[in-house]
Amino acid sequence: MNALFFGSLILLFAASALQMIGSVFKKEKLSKIAWIVFLTAFAALSVFIVIRGFSAKRVPLANQFEFATAFAWGICLMLAVLRLRYKADWISAVAIPAAFIVLSYAALQPKEITDLMPALKSSWFVFHIGSAVFSYSAFIIAGCVGLRYILASKKENADELKLHRMDYMSYRMIAFGFLMLTITILTGALWAEQAWSSFWTWDPKEVWALITWIIYAVYLHLRLRSKKSGIKMAWFALIAVPVVLFTFAGVNTLIPGLHSYG
Amino acid sequence: MRFGIILLLLIAAVSVVGSLIPQGNEPAYYAKIYGSGHPWILLLGLDNVFKGWVFIALTVLLSLNLTLCSVVRIRKTVSEGKDLLENVSRLPDAGSATPEEIGKIKQHLKSKRCREKQFDCGTVYYKNLLGRYGTFVTHLAILLTVVFGALALSLPIVTDQTCYPGNSITMKDGTEIYVDSFSIEDEEGNLNYNSFVQLTLSDGRQSEIQQIRVNYPLSFRGYKVYQQTYGTAGSVEVVNARTGGQDVFILEESAFLSTDGMNGIFYRDLYPGFVKDGNGNYTLITSTSGSYPDPVYDIAIMSEGEQTDVLAFPGDEITLGDFKYVFNDPVEYPGLRIKHTPNLVNVLLLISFVLLTAGLYMTFFTVPSLVKVSGTGYAVAGPKPEADRIEIEMILKNGETNL
Repeated sequence: MNALFFGSLILLFAASALQMIGSVFKKEKLSKIAWIVFLTAFAALSVFIVIRGFSAKRVPLANQFEFATAFAWGICLMLAVLRLRYKADWISAVAIPAAFIVLSYAALQPKEITDLMPALKSSWFVFHIGSAVFSYSAFIIAGCVGLRYILASKKENADELKLHRMDYMSYRMIAFGFLMLTITILTGALWAEQAWSSFWTWDPKEVWALITWIIYAVYLHLRLRSKKSGIKMAWFALIAVPVVLFTFAGVNTLIPGLHSYG
Repeated sequence: MRFGIILLLLIAAVSVVGSLIPQGNEPAYYAKIYGSGHPWILLLGLDNVFKGWVFIALTVLLSLNLTLCSVVRIRKTVSEGKDLLENVSRLPDAGSATPEEIGKIKQHLKSKRCREKQFDCGTVYYKNLLGRYGTFVTHLAILLTVVFGALALSLPIVTDQTCYPGNSITMKDGTEIYVDSFSIEDEEGNLNYNSFVQLTLSDGRQSEIQQIRVNYPLSFRGYKVYQQTYGTAGSVEVVNARTGGQDVFILEESAFLSTDGMNGIFYRDLYPGFVKDGNGNYTLITSTSGSYPDPVYDIAIMSEGEQTDVLAFPGDEITLGDFKYVFNDPVEYPGLRIKHTPNLVNVLLLISFVLLTAGLYMTFFTVPSLVKVSGTGYAVAGPKPEADRIEIEMILKNGETNL
């Protein structure tokens, strides 16, 4: 089973390298190969997650390794949807490396399959953690689109319509991620009441989820009410990514709390 | 709106501080961790940020801001809703288009399942008009979540209690919680601590005996009983050979079982297991899992002024004078959390949660489309016209859209 995981990791690395070279040197063929390699990695990662789920006899989202793997899978899924459904080919050069980095983080975590601890045996488990996976993935993709916008806008004769599309896509990903993060926080509150008797305990993970929620709420306000768009919002989407990553990994690693499940 | 954003950012900044400095500890803790800087932490209330006046004031201001926003927003949305389609039809063309392009735009809008209405100045294509209320519903729901959330956190009366199986806990209001049984592990030996409990209100109303475990509390008439922690205690039966009297003592901490204060059994601790080497020496195992597969009593026999350290196992008997001490299997007991809260608050909070999710869905995923198409051009209206505008631009440029 580990071969599938490391196979996905190597394939993602290869896809990242091919895509970067293809983008920098404008080699269309390399980009196409990179896309096929990426799809193979995505398929292998999907199979790995399914097999791990069957082996563990539960949804594989119970520790940092499983969550990080699902997180990388979520980025791959959204990238695939954006490319296949919206023909957003330009996103691959930044999104494939992003998926690779997250999966590399997963590779550094302990990989043993362990029984669910009593606190995690709840019907809220899938909703709470599943929505967090989609939320974080959407924010990362939005950051990738933001980065792509920044790079594209620096070109002379930049295609305005393409920039508008990127700008709008980044906003839509953040809107989706924001809804998912809201569901994560609300289901987490309901779960906390069932498990610990209180809807909110100011646990560091809860606090950082709230901080992330506030940061993206500010983004959406600026976007919808102040009609801010373009390069400023692209920078915003990009700069907010470290906050997401800290909420995902930093809190569990650096600050002890109720969410430190390993 | 700018004030609202500033408030949100201030709340985020205060929250960062609250997450980095451990909250709610004794002053000595901060003195140990932060040295000479600790008086500032205490002075500024950084040891209890989320209950401090700064955080509460920011939350209150945000609530007021949300209230104002909600009122302004609903008034604006309702007033704009009157003759909405007719007003859109009167908009001047924002872009010109050839008859062929206009045909493509109309076809695109129909493929999006927009409804259409004819006016003198042109045709108005529209859909998802309910989505106009999305931001209002969202703001209202956030306000309700803050208010009911604050009530749900402050109103409950919470008590932590331990109780041995077969015994009861009586609350101040006369409510009684009876613990029928408790176990730490399930039949397969997995950690799955659970109790069977029954709750009786002071007026006599009674719940069924129900199994509780982590995530599955007993809920009855505003009371909730949570399986919170667990413990294991020693159990020693003392029999008076002369009178025949006997008593069972549950031992949670060091104790001296004696009638004269001189002779008896001094109980030090209970260990979950041991390792015996080839020379007959015992090494006691400490465990945090809660399971006691091979329990060992670490005791001292006090007799005639002499102390003899020994290990005792369940079933062992020690006789000292008229008294016989029988070591039983350890007793496993639950730590329960009992919460009493008005049910209505929880229900209202739950409704706020649903409303918030629905509001966000309406805001972002049922975005209203309002496009006027005339014979010479088009105009895009509505609170979030971006998608329609980009799609139409793409159609005019590329002949297709894939936004």
